[in-house]
Amino acid sequence: MSGKAILYDATKCTACRACQVACKNWNELEAEKTVNWGSYENPKDLSTDTWLKIEFREVGSNGDLRWLFTRKACMHCTDAACVKVCPTGALFYRPDGLVSLDKGKCSGCGYCVEFCPFEIPRIDTAIGQVFGRAAKCTACTTPGLNRLDNGYAPACVKTCPTGALEYDDRYKLVSAAKAKVEELKAIGYGNANLYGEDLVGGTHVLYILDDTPEVYGLIPDPKVPATATAWQDVIKPLGYAAVGVVGLGLLLNIMVARARIISKEEK
Amino acid sequence: MQDVERFRKRAIFQHWWIVACSLLLGLTGLFLFLSWVSPAAWWGWSRLVHRIAAVGFVGIPVIYFLLNPKSTWEWLKEAFTWNTDDLGWLQAAPSYYFGGPEEDMPPQDRSNTGQKLWMLVAIVTGVVFVITGFIMWFFKGSAAPGVLQAMVLIHDIAFIAGGTMLLVHIALAAFHPRMSEAMRSMTTGKATVDYVKSHHGKWYERVTAEK
Repeated sequence: MSGKAILYDATKCTACRACQVACKNWNELEAEKTVNWGSYENPKDLSTDTWLKIEFREVGSNGDLRWLFTRKACMHCTDAACVKVCPTGALFYRPDGLVSLDKGKCSGCGYCVEFCPFEIPRIDTAIGQVFGRAAKCTACTTPGLNRLDNGYAPACVKTCPTGALEYDDRYKLVSAAKAKVEELKAIGYGNANLYGEDLVGGTHVLYILDDTPEVYGLIPDPKVPATATAWQDVIKPLGYAAVGVVGLGLLLNIMVARARIISKEEK
Repeated sequence: MQDVERFRKRAIFQHWWIVACSLLLGLTGLFLFLSWVSPAAWWGWSRLVHRIAAVGFVGIPVIYFLLNPKSTWEWLKEAFTWNTDDLGWLQAAPSYYFGGPEEDMPPQDRSNTGQKLWMLVAIVTGVVFVITGFIMWFFKGSAAPGVLQAMVLIHDIAFIAGGTMLLVHIALAAFHPRMSEAMRSMTTGKATVDYVKSHHGKWYERVTAEK
């Protein structure tokens, strides 16, 4: 598959969270007030001001404890449910396969929030937030803040000090990642895998994991919700057909009735 | 020619109020339905209009019910009361509405079967709109994604069903030659005795017998 991608190697990530900071810095997102909730992980969830965060997990493994880190941000799906349900074209595919968001077109309907299989987009729903806008990672392609089209890597990749994040052609990253997975398997990580290669049409954010997706808190088998397909590909076309048939029928009916009733009056 | 009162002023006001709200709701909803008019929804101003109109759509019927519980109840009863004359009407209606003979139509009550059918559609889709819309407005972000997905779908199905039937209602009431006094009844509240006798015979007899 062509296009660009971001590769996240969980085995190289030290959870320094420089990517989190760089993302906010470049995309002009406000800092959030955080609280100590018993983990270094903060803020607790993505928000309209936090498009990327690193999750911390403590996992028991053969009587030992592993401290695992996972990147949480838009996966840039090839079959993106958010693009499918977005009514205004605010969410769209770029030619390089990344899923961007033009806030200027967002109506704030929030369908992307409900239909995303990875539960990534966020929207302000507080009372008074009448004009809330959807927000998510655009891979640094936000209009006016576009790094990619100016020849730069996304801010998170650029800042990553350990090489856990890479940005390149997708096919190159896939083959490099597959080689890395084989290496991991060879040194005893039997569950090592490349996450995202074939999911939802192939994501443009790929993860090298040394254990199953579930262990890393990832959804093992994300899918475009059946409701999205039923709605966009069945119900909507049926709606157009219904209005078309009924409209034509009514037009015909009124024309015939007028002709017949007026001719009767003339007799 | 002598006139008969078909609708009270307050009922007429409510009718046109709901028309205005429905058109606003339908139009702003359509912005999210048809991709080529979707630029009208950019920035979300149409969502604000949709919500204001929704308050009006719910508010006036509620106020009407509180002020006129008896007539509201009778109206609801009317919509849900069906008998063999309705069956006869459904059989004879296609020919009648294409200009066929009037004699085949069974005598009709205050609302004919078609009008009752529309009342049912309006009541059912209205209730569905309000429930699903309420959840989408106030439980965005707190309800489970699957629930909100279902609400969007059901809201859309109600839009297609209700919107299509609204087209039928508008076409018949405003443009059909057989419904020549429908518009007059819903604006002035009055229709001629001849019209009422031929279109709502059962109702005319009941009303004149009561007097």
